[in-house]
Amino acid sequence: MTSSTTTLSKEGLGQQPWWVAEWMELINSYRYKKRLERAWIYAREGNVLSIRFEGRRVQARVQGTEAEPYKVKLWLDVLTDEDWEFVLEALTQKARWTCQLLAGIMPDDIERAFAVSGKRLFPFKLQEVRSECSCPDKANPCKHISAVYYLMGDRFSEDPFVLFQLRGRSRSQLLSDLAERRRQHLADERAALGMPPPASPAAVPRPDPLSWWAYTAPLDPDLVVITPAMAGSTGLDEAGDLPLAVEPRFPEANQLFLERLRQQGSLMGQLAMAKAMGAGAGP
Amino acid sequence: MSLLHAVWLQTPAQPCLVLWADTWRVAKPQKLEGLSAPRPHPLALNSDDLSAWLEELGRLPAAPVAAELQFCLSLPSRSNGLPLMAGETLPKQLEWWPWQLQGLALNAAAAADWLGQLPLSGQHPELGEELLWWAHLQRWVLSLVARGRWLPAVQLAPQARAQWQPLLNHEEDRRRLEDLALRLPRVVTSGAGDPEATLACRRPGARRLQVAEIVAALVDGQLRQSFQAEEQGLDPLLAAWQRALGPGDGGLELSPEDGERLATATNHWRETVAGRVAPARAVLELEVPPNDSDLWKLRFGLQAEADPSLRQPAAAVWAAGDGELSLGAINVPQPGELLLEGLGRALGAFEPLQRGLEGAAPEEMDLAAAEAFVLVRTAAAKLRDVGVGVVLPASLSGGLASRLGLAIKAELPSSAKGFSIGETLDWSWELMIGGVTLTLKDLERLAGKRSPLVQHKGAWIELRPGDHKNAEKFWAADPALSLDDALRLTASDGDTLMRLPVHRFLAGPRLQAVLEQYHQQKAPDPLPAPEGFIGQLRPYQERGLGWLAFLHRFDQGACLADDMGLGKTIQLLAFLQHLKAEQELKRPVLLVAPTSVLTNWKREAAQFTPELQVLEHYGPKRAATEAALSKALKGVDLVLTSYGLLQRDRELLLGHDWQGLVIDEAQAIKNASAKQSQAARDLARPLRQSRFRIALTGTPVENRVSELWALMDFLNPRVLGEEDFFRQRYRLPIERYGDTASLKDLKARVGPFLLRRLKTDKSIISDLPEKLELNEWVGLSPEQTKLYRKTVDETLEAIQRAPLGKKHGQVLALLTKLKQICNHPALALKEESVGEGFAARSAKLQRLEEILEEVVEAGDRALLFTQFAEWGHLLKAHLQQRWKQEVPFLHGGSSKNDRQAMVDRFQEDPRGPQLFLLSLKAGGVGLNLTRASHVFHIDRWWNPAVENQATDRAYRIGQTKRVLVHKFITTGSVEEKIDKMIRDKAKLAAEIVGSGEEWLGGLEISQLRELVSLSEA
Repeated sequence: MTSSTTTLSKEGLGQQPWWVAEWMELINSYRYKKRLERAWIYAREGNVLSIRFEGRRVQARVQGTEAEPYKVKLWLDVLTDEDWEFVLEALTQKARWTCQLLAGIMPDDIERAFAVSGKRLFPFKLQEVRSECSCPDKANPCKHISAVYYLMGDRFSEDPFVLFQLRGRSRSQLLSDLAERRRQHLADERAALGMPPPASPAAVPRPDPLSWWAYTAPLDPDLVVITPAMAGSTGLDEAGDLPLAVEPRFPEANQLFLERLRQQGSLMGQLAMAKAMGAGAGP
Repeated sequence: MSLLHAVWLQTPAQPCLVLWADTWRVAKPQKLEGLSAPRPHPLALNSDDLSAWLEELGRLPAAPVAAELQFCLSLPSRSNGLPLMAGETLPKQLEWWPWQLQGLALNAAAAADWLGQLPLSGQHPELGEELLWWAHLQRWVLSLVARGRWLPAVQLAPQARAQWQPLLNHEEDRRRLEDLALRLPRVVTSGAGDPEATLACRRPGARRLQVAEIVAALVDGQLRQSFQAEEQGLDPLLAAWQRALGPGDGGLELSPEDGERLATATNHWRETVAGRVAPARAVLELEVPPNDSDLWKLRFGLQAEADPSLRQPAAAVWAAGDGELSLGAINVPQPGELLLEGLGRALGAFEPLQRGLEGAAPEEMDLAAAEAFVLVRTAAAKLRDVGVGVVLPASLSGGLASRLGLAIKAELPSSAKGFSIGETLDWSWELMIGGVTLTLKDLERLAGKRSPLVQHKGAWIELRPGDHKNAEKFWAADPALSLDDALRLTASDGDTLMRLPVHRFLAGPRLQAVLEQYHQQKAPDPLPAPEGFIGQLRPYQERGLGWLAFLHRFDQGACLADDMGLGKTIQLLAFLQHLKAEQELKRPVLLVAPTSVLTNWKREAAQFTPELQVLEHYGPKRAATEAALSKALKGVDLVLTSYGLLQRDRELLLGHDWQGLVIDEAQAIKNASAKQSQAARDLARPLRQSRFRIALTGTPVENRVSELWALMDFLNPRVLGEEDFFRQRYRLPIERYGDTASLKDLKARVGPFLLRRLKTDKSIISDLPEKLELNEWVGLSPEQTKLYRKTVDETLEAIQRAPLGKKHGQVLALLTKLKQICNHPALALKEESVGEGFAARSAKLQRLEEILEEVVEAGDRALLFTQFAEWGHLLKAHLQQRWKQEVPFLHGGSSKNDRQAMVDRFQEDPRGPQLFLLSLKAGGVGLNLTRASHVFHIDRWWNPAVENQATDRAYRIGQTKRVLVHKFITTGSVEEKIDKMIRDKAKLAAEIVGSGEEWLGGLEISQLRELVSLSEA
């Protein structure tokens, strides 16, 4: 289940991270396909005016048939402190999980950390996603809520920590808890082996405080000739697609934006090289 | 002279580059304690003067971008309440005070343009050293832009702004950031826009962030300037972002929610590529398997950015928990998060790592040989590029040493009598990889293991696909090794023999001796003064003589470039005498020198090497035909001629068979296309017989890249290749960009043929007396000669007729007039201004200029004494014109305040005048001018006591430099004769001369005639 395509991706998007795909499948399990279709059109045409993550809730505004946009709230069941104890203990056991999260990737076996508490990170059924909408429609999820669903999946890909937040732990809380547990874990392990805590290396001398004006270094030899980027090594090449949810009304926008940056970036690079050729020969 | 500075200022509106300048002036000390606001900087230029001066320098930024600005700067200050200036010696007691200044502010875009115009190397007395730092920083900024190392980003605080952010994650850029941060001249970041701001105590770690911020601002300014937004097809969010990336202040027109969303998303985008600018990074350390295992160990840890050798293992990181970890003096907050995040990025570049991170607090993991190989071969570079450090075992750490190469043993063949460049050596070779040697058989066996990492003689080495084939090819070729090869291979690291790098070169004792002397790792064997040389050679002069003889044996041209005063003339004369004593001097040697020093050569040769037969090929009576020249050259050892005649008598001189050619003041041929350079070159390359070539110069020739080619073209034309090649390969990179790699290579190439010792060298200084006196022999120009003769003839007649009472006065008047003529005709003719061709009218002035040229260039300072105030005024005007710098003149008419100001400035101002004129009477006593290392007595007072007193202005107790005293003596004139009289009768001089010049007035008329008549030099 590393990745799959989504409804949105049928419209010409590339592959989504697996956790976004998971979210999309959840929505698509909804029985009322007509309502989903209308929600999809809402989402695509930009009726969702804003989505905000406020603490443990998602607050959104969706333009419906009335002048005033409807207010949509979405939330998940929060894990209790006791549950989190279990989850954190489990998360501590595999450093890789934290590594990946910090690098912006949701580990594909993350649910195993939550399984110990008998809870899940991802909602298993659509019913687990609680929602409210200020529209008169009695049905839940209404099309406004469903439209927000669609867009939220992409928001998850922007930051994997968002899901943790919805479950009750912010990024900084989580990281500091984990750091403390690792320290404890290590201390226990060392104590068990009868090892002392690791020592710090000796301090290096401070730099000379009197070098107020002085600079006599030669130019870095590699900067003598300013070279252009090698194929595939610009920042844009390495960064890849924008981790921004695609605005459905402008499906090409992300690609267009990057393409223009690329074009102009290459022009500006040439300009810089021309400047560098003339440098050093000034008055 | 004023000095330009540039600081970075974080004003509330926007960060900017601020230009300001200070200059030396007399300022009153003041009390700084208890002031409520910073004082105006007493030595700084105000903004009007600054603009005017920048305009004059051609560095005034265009009007709309530069705004006048008041700002504050924290500067080291003296306890008497005056700020220090760049280059001043630091007083024991140093205080830091904020000063108020006026400057010109440039926004980031304009700053990038302005900085791009700065020179990247070289001496620029008007620019503060920190401007070189700025120029290098801007060069890096251009490189980042050219390589596309940026991403657009969004920053929320203090207000939502779109920004072009540089990516500094590549290994080379990380190194540059650390380098520039480490060398940051701290004045650059010591400014504040707000006068209330006090100096914050900054930790060394913060400098990296400051420099990163400056780079970010300059990259942003540069890209923003030329970016054109095009909104078609973009959604409102991206359109707003794009708009804000174009020209302007970058403000984002978005709701707070959207801004926040954009910021979060783009931060992730950036961090997956670049990581953060943090004081440390994750590091993976590979260890070779222990003896009983074939599993490699990979250890995790953190490494300081500022000093990669500072590392902490993962255990220490985990132990720090949520607190700080110290790496040396560097404190790393949240080290665990930093390490984990780094390892997370590393996962993408080295997949096997995943296995090692399954534990709670992983410290290390095992790698199979194949995985270790992937790490060594490809993943290490990728990891470094995503900002993860990699430490490999020494024998595998990449670079040339881990590649297949050669270990060579060589020795001069026992049959060899002398040694010439083409000499074939006895030699043997072995293969070498990663510091261990192996035979072709070993290599075959190891290659058979089909593993790219193999163990040999206890070390792990990497085999590359082509290695075995290349080794076989070399074995089959079985090349010979010449002395020329050996010289080349030992000149620099990484040289190759048949495309294989030479990792080790072991020379046998006899070859080693040759190599060491050739590369000047060892001083050449000294040669004692040869038989027939009258006088003593100092130890370093014996080494110089040995060196000349050494290169002579190799038939290589030599450039002796010793500092002024170390006796190049004597060494050359000793060398010629050495040839003569060894009966190797069979044909005459031609020496070319500027006219002004020909006399000097003749005198010195007569004094030190009287056995050498010297002929001057100069003047209207010189030989004009080949026959006449051949006849004149019978029995002659050394022929002196001038550069002018080298051109004029070119054909004549070319037609003669010289044994050697010496050019003195070799900077005369610095322009390769000039006629005299071509003539010298043609003379150096005869068709038939070899001819030794020696060049003498006192200028730091190795630093004058543009002149080096012409010099080597004269000495050893093969060494630097064709001029076009030289310009592209060396001259442009070095002169424009100060490329040290090219400079190093160039120096290695010319090093063997250049010998330059400085008075300040440790090995020299002990050989020298603290005060070195040099007689500068000069002739007279035609105008001087004519005037001198006329004056003598007319005045002697008058004196003869004069009544006894007046005679005494008239004699002294005549002597004074003659001394004036020796200085310059204009002085004797009472001219009041300096006209066209002023220097050409006096031989003494020409020679003075030549010597001063070396003094000024070397950055030394000189005192110039004259007894004629009128001469002082003329000379001041002339020298100021010549060197475009102020030359103060202290004379009897200077006020007390002026005198003190001149002396203070000469002694204290870091960029004060280099030349200081003084009248002998006013400046001879009481002053302390120890900053000077040269003293010139332009005219003679004939009273050693007075001269010595003046000399002692510079040479005083506490003086650490050697002082060079130049005494000018016009040959054939009254100056030389009286000098001789004084020296011949030292005792007499002490008694009689001690009273002044009065004694001269009592001379008999015949004595007087003898004394003043101009004799043939």
